[in-house]
Amino acid sequence: MLEALHLTKRYASLPAAQDVSFTLRPGQVLGCLGPNGSGKSTTVKMLTGLLEPTRGEVLFDGQNIRDNLSAYRKRLGYVPEEAHLYPYLTGWEYLELIGTLRGMPRSELEKKIDSLLELFSLHPNRHASIGTYSKGMRQRILLIAALMDNPDIFIFDEPLSGLDVTSALIFKNLVQALGQQGKLVFYCSHVLEVVEKVCSDVLILRKGVVIAQDSVANIGQILGQSLENTFLHLVDDVDTMRVARDIVTVMKAA
Amino acid sequence: MITAPTERVRRAWADHRQRPFWRMVQLFIDRIFRGGGDADTEGLDLGVGLVLTLLAMPGGFVSILLFDKYGTFLQWLRGATNVDPLAMALPDEYFFLVLSMTVTGAVAVWRWDAIFPDRRDYMNLVPQPISTQTIFFANLVAVLFLVALIALDVNAASCVLFPVVVGATQSKFLFFLKFALVHAIGVVLASVFAFFAVFSVMGLLMAMLPPRAFKRFSAYIRGVVVVYLVTLLCTSFAVPDAIRRAKDTIPAWAYVMPSCWFLGLCQSLRGRAGPVLLGLSRLALPGLAVVVAIALCAYAVGYQRHFVRIAEIADTTATARNPRTWRLRIPLDRFVLRTPLQRGCFRFVCRTLLRSEGHRLVLTAIGGLSLVLASQALMDAFENAKSWRQAVLSPSALSIPFILSFLGIVGLRLVFEIPVELRSNWIFQLMLDRDGEECEPLARKVILIFVLPWLLAIAFPVYVYLEGWRVASLHTLLVTTWTVLLTNIVLIRFRKLPCTCTLPLFKQHSFVTLLSVCFGFLLYAVSTPEFESSALAEPARMLSLVPIAAVAWYIPHRLARSTTDIERKLIFEESPTRAFETLGLEDFGR
Repeated sequence: MLEALHLTKRYASLPAAQDVSFTLRPGQVLGCLGPNGSGKSTTVKMLTGLLEPTRGEVLFDGQNIRDNLSAYRKRLGYVPEEAHLYPYLTGWEYLELIGTLRGMPRSELEKKIDSLLELFSLHPNRHASIGTYSKGMRQRILLIAALMDNPDIFIFDEPLSGLDVTSALIFKNLVQALGQQGKLVFYCSHVLEVVEKVCSDVLILRKGVVIAQDSVANIGQILGQSLENTFLHLVDDVDTMRVARDIVTVMKAA
Repeated sequence: MITAPTERVRRAWADHRQRPFWRMVQLFIDRIFRGGGDADTEGLDLGVGLVLTLLAMPGGFVSILLFDKYGTFLQWLRGATNVDPLAMALPDEYFFLVLSMTVTGAVAVWRWDAIFPDRRDYMNLVPQPISTQTIFFANLVAVLFLVALIALDVNAASCVLFPVVVGATQSKFLFFLKFALVHAIGVVLASVFAFFAVFSVMGLLMAMLPPRAFKRFSAYIRGVVVVYLVTLLCTSFAVPDAIRRAKDTIPAWAYVMPSCWFLGLCQSLRGRAGPVLLGLSRLALPGLAVVVAIALCAYAVGYQRHFVRIAEIADTTATARNPRTWRLRIPLDRFVLRTPLQRGCFRFVCRTLLRSEGHRLVLTAIGGLSLVLASQALMDAFENAKSWRQAVLSPSALSIPFILSFLGIVGLRLVFEIPVELRSNWIFQLMLDRDGEECEPLARKVILIFVLPWLLAIAFPVYVYLEGWRVASLHTLLVTTWTVLLTNIVLIRFRKLPCTCTLPLFKQHSFVTLLSVCFGFLLYAVSTPEFESSALAEPARMLSLVPIAAVAWYIPHRLARSTTDIERKLIFEESPTRAFETLGLEDFGR
């Protein structure tokens, strides 16, 4: 079980996340929603141990993750928001590097890399340098890197970015399958439909604060609306139609 | 089955290499040679072999050129019959020392972004089950390996060839061996010193400045280091003589020139050091130790401050500055940049040249070279003159604006070839008319706007003040005309938007181009001022330059007219010229 307890992160005096608390149980797929600057990335970085919280702690199986970060990270698969990969390595070399750093046995590593590259349709390009890969191909490499060591916790930050329709469908099914396997999945996204479809629960952040946390079905029922409308109501309260009309007016202006 | 010991060693090494620590060391070494910074595209990947060959070349070439100096037959022809090779080798030894320091220092400046772990390393390595200390030590091992490799590579050719050249007249092999050993110690230590000196300068700044301020200042500091390195290389013409002239007391300037310390070390190891060089040699090893210690401490502090906190740095929002408006923009737009395309592209090119780190570094290096050559010319002018008047009208003083304009024009032409973020040039590919032929005039305007106003603003008032309107007008007219003509020449068949095209491939005629630049410099910045110096006394003689100017104007004009339409089309990719092309006739039969 992964528990975030009163996570707070301040940069100088600016709070990026305030008192964020939630629990992620085995088999649960928790979606995290929020507009830009709501503290999603900060929360993700605190969960992965990349950022140290100003206050609060992250517990995994009752133990603070910072007590033994290496052991925690061995059980963590993380897909970051931006695909910062080494452009001069080939896809195969990159995965081999990550597997080696995770301490995977060589024979198992090579087999898994080959199989996963095949399943993600990257096998023909495995010996091409990542610099030549499209955005979707890089994203698939990141997904393979997160999956191949069979971790217990998955943290996905905008994982569908750049993926084609087929890969995105495969991934959505994969997330549900991971949940059924008893893995812990934390899923950050802007795409509300995907969160609605793949996540069992949802956490909504606004200005660094949790403003709603419940199952997807319950959140919709509270206001009797779809998740999209509920999200807009809770987070922005913006008349999107009016903004769209204003943009067209500005475009037409001389 | 019994396995051979070599096979066992090979397997053990292969297993060892697969350990996370050594795998990371490999990754860092690879990154230092093949890419760094935050860009996600591959940069200029020359390959490790080619990089090492290029770095080793200067030492090899210079050694070969010295055969002329040390050849006994040529010495005999010159009337030198009883020469002391060790005394004769002193200036060359100094030159090799500064060469190794300059090349190694330049490598440290060039690869600075790749030496230190960056955001990409953070995002890929920190989420893995390895500690940040392991990443620190893996990168440190990679840096130390790099230092050793570069120091050996840069000096490898000179360590063999220079002793061969100097010892060719000696019958004892021991002489060669001893000379080679001392030379190798000197140049390798000088290289290591240069690398760690650059490393400690950058590391100290990293340790002291906040990350954002460091990012802003690092480009300027690297520029200053490049200028220092160029200046150091230029000292090779003067320092050996100056040291010889200093009899017993060490000149103050020699204390701040590490190259002199290592020259002292070499000479003292050979037992040929006078009091000055002996005193300087005592600074070499302590100096090296101090620099290495500072570099390692600064690296550790910088790592803690910058790398470990990258995630926090990324999450703080940058404070945007209000853009400054440039007052000259309106007249420039009205009178010089007449089309919207020229206005837009001019601003893009200017911002690229002023903000892109790679472009700024190259321009700074060229600016440093210009300053060194110009100050040398200024010193020459005053050294050999009896009065102010004689000094300012001497060829050396008159050559200063020519030197600055030549290197400015050639430098800008060179940086136009360096691309900036090729993935972003789609906007120009989309917007620009390939047949529009606006890029060459744009490049000309950029060069002239960057070079000419400074020359006119300085040269004209100075000569008006010192020599009056007539001389000032003639000199300014000549500098302006020559600047415009040279700009036309360097832009012959230029058909790119500056900084948006892929890097040109190395071609056989690159050597010819390099020789042409050297020859052009002699004509432009040496011969012209010499002629001008004599012609200013009789201004009518200036008219003899008119036919030369006419030819220099006519040739590019003529070449432009004879260019085919295909060769005029705007390009975004440098593709090699094919020796032959297929006509695709097989399609006709289908």
